[in-house]
Amino acid sequence: MTFYESEISRIRDLCYANDKHLETVIATRNFIDVHYDQDLNLDLLSHHRLTSKFHLLRLFKRYYGLTPKQYLTDKRIEKAKEQLILGHTVKEACFTVGFESVSSFSTLFKAKTGKSPGEFQKEQFSRRDSDLEL
Amino acid sequence: MKVTAISIPVRDQEKALKFYTEVLGFIKKRDIPLEGGNRWLTLVSAEWQDGPELLLEPAPLHFEPSRVYQDALMEAGIPYTQFDVTNVEEEYDRLTRQEVEFSVKPTEMGTVKIAVFNDTCGNNIQLVEML
Repeated sequence: MTFYESEISRIRDLCYANDKHLETVIATRNFIDVHYDQDLNLDLLSHHRLTSKFHLLRLFKRYYGLTPKQYLTDKRIEKAKEQLILGHTVKEACFTVGFESVSSFSTLFKAKTGKSPGEFQKEQFSRRDSDLEL
Repeated sequence: MKVTAISIPVRDQEKALKFYTEVLGFIKKRDIPLEGGNRWLTLVSAEWQDGPELLLEPAPLHFEPSRVYQDALMEAGIPYTQFDVTNVEEEYDRLTRQEVEFSVKPTEMGTVKIAVFNDTCGNNIQLVEML
């Protein structure tokens, strides 16, 4: 057994011994992955797992390093990119992935990716065109 | 500041290029000749071609501490670099069919599943799937 393998099992025993916790956070993440386009909030997520919302928030952050809200936002931005690449309008992308306001979506998208949704889409299309030309 | 490149030290750039493109499936992005047969050689992920570039750099050939460090990591089984995948088991099956050697088979580690393979260029590489 290598040093790395023995470290993996040592750290797993120390940090990941609580199967119930793991089951809860993994199920929560999977739930977000499937239902990201819906109106998700901590009440709903904790209800789904029959746990208190503060407990769930703490656990999720402890195991994933992000709050459920941060994770959901990242997931929606990733999905919005896919929508834009497929040619959907900014407004369509925004509502399809579960955001409720185009202006807050655009602001958030720019903060996360460095480009507005429109700029992002234009860049994708011009890249595709130039690939064809050259 | 932006993160655009990560380095992987390799003993043989040409061999590394073949392994990373033909076996792992990366795409060559830049190949710029430098002095002494060295190249500025970068790859991108096929499914994220505007993502960060992997720089296959020949440091272990020219800077002994790099070679010593790389050997020590290999000996200890430690992966210095990791790639995200959507399914570790599938990648494990795909790569073992191509005779890639794994020192850690797919293993759950809390909220992730990991596996570690030898890149044949002096490095252990870890695959990670978020659970």
